[in-house]
Amino acid sequence: MTAALLSLTLRGLLNRRRTLLLGLIGALVLLVAVIYRLSGPAEAEASTFTGRLLADFGLGVLLPLVAVIVGTAAIGSELDDGTILYLLAKPIPRMLIVAIKLLVAAGVVTVLVALPILLAGIIGTGGSASLGLAYAVAAAFGALEYTSVFLALSLVTSRALVIGLAYVVVWEGVVAGLFAGTRIFSVRQHALAVGDALAGDGAVTAELAAGSALLIGFTVTLLAFGLAVRRLERVELRGDSN
Amino acid sequence: MSQITLREVSRWYGNVVAVNDVSFEVGAGITGLLGPNGAGKTTLLHMMAGFLAPSAGDVRIDDSPTWRHPEVYRRIGFVPEREAVHPFLTGRQFVHSSARLQGVKDPDAATERAIEMVDLREASGRAIGGYSKGMRQRVKVAASLVHDPEVLVLDEPFNGMDPRQRLHMMDLLRSMAAEGRTILFSSHILEEVERLSDRVLVVVAGRLAASGDFRRIRRLMTDRPHTFSVRSSDDRLLARELLASPEVQAVELHDGVLTVRTGDYGQLTRAVGPAAQRAGVSLLELRPADESLESVFSYLVHR
Repeated sequence: MTAALLSLTLRGLLNRRRTLLLGLIGALVLLVAVIYRLSGPAEAEASTFTGRLLADFGLGVLLPLVAVIVGTAAIGSELDDGTILYLLAKPIPRMLIVAIKLLVAAGVVTVLVALPILLAGIIGTGGSASLGLAYAVAAAFGALEYTSVFLALSLVTSRALVIGLAYVVVWEGVVAGLFAGTRIFSVRQHALAVGDALAGDGAVTAELAAGSALLIGFTVTLLAFGLAVRRLERVELRGDSN
Repeated sequence: MSQITLREVSRWYGNVVAVNDVSFEVGAGITGLLGPNGAGKTTLLHMMAGFLAPSAGDVRIDDSPTWRHPEVYRRIGFVPEREAVHPFLTGRQFVHSSARLQGVKDPDAATERAIEMVDLREASGRAIGGYSKGMRQRVKVAASLVHDPEVLVLDEPFNGMDPRQRLHMMDLLRSMAAEGRTILFSSHILEEVERLSDRVLVVVAGRLAASGDFRRIRRLMTDRPHTFSVRSSDDRLLARELLASPEVQAVELHDGVLTVRTGDYGQLTRAVGPAAQRAGVSLLELRPADESLESVFSYLVHR
């Protein structure tokens, strides 16, 4: 049952066009790292530049963009086209459906974001894996939190993609930049804090302590998971005209 | 044998009442759910299949409420009207994944059996995205049958099927009903319902207008004349004699067919024999001419 749910979710999520688009977005960070390396940078600056690239572009742009697309589609696309009915008409606990959808979606985001980040880190620093690994782990943590929030959002509103993008651009991009107090509610800041703590090179200075970020991040993930289960248990089908 | 029970069920959307205080029971056999568009058929079916919460009342399959009880799906197979089916799966993959999600012990065998039942073997290896409407309908039915459910709820199951597929599906439903399953299907095509089931539920404007054997319902419609066609050795003589009977409202002899209208079904059936005897003619046939579902339905809808 679980395996069937896993494979159905994965196949639904990774249709050809979406996979290609997300793969291209992920490849951008790699491309920048390659161009930077080819430009023959001073080795002393390589670590700082790569750190900023992974933090600002990898965690700041790539991660939320991929997560909002995958997270809102994990259940949202089935809700939109009505195929969720075939899943709901099965004797499967709704908590299991949400758990598997979330794990698959977070896993896909991790592969699409953390992997390019790791490789870009190695290329950018000229062979060192530690920086890339630190931000790849941070990306995996951020992927889980982002995906859970966007998945829950898709069960609350049919405009989850737009609202998710607005959150990423307006809240995380603008508001959190202007008002330090709001950063506690920024998934990007949570991931940055983890990346900064693991990298330990000072290239990026996170606003939050890693411990707080982890605590808040996992709490948000759990709350979003609970909300998603509650909403899925109450999904109703409307008749068209009869 | 399973039973669907609705007790005082209502469902409203804001100010709009879609289903209004409906109660009925559906047991083994085939029951047709009839009603004009917008009558509340799909709302009722969705509540029975656990996809819609009743605003008031209680919907159960045997002892289990259907809303928010996923366990009931071990006993129900539901075929929705909506065509949405995962387009990237082949027919076989779709049915197979249904079998696995249902936790069927031998999903391979169950898949083959279900595909065979709906006569979709040839197309089962193709992606559903390329299926015709009728093929999609059949693959949906196969997926709903794969776990051998006791209750089958189908929303407009014959939509898009060609006449051969329609007959095949009717035979399939009949054979499943003969095994003691409870089958409820909605349709707006009266002929389909008439051919498949004697028992109907007629919904009009969210209310249950009638339920039971539609021929019996017809007989209860006493404010509308009943029509009989009569054959005898001399229809003209018999017509004259029948006109003298007080229970006969009208007699018509047209194209060699004698038609008699009456307000009292029972009285007329008892009067025709003696009238034939008085006229000295042999009565060959006395047949109700308007006990079609159509006459019942149009009466209930336009009342």
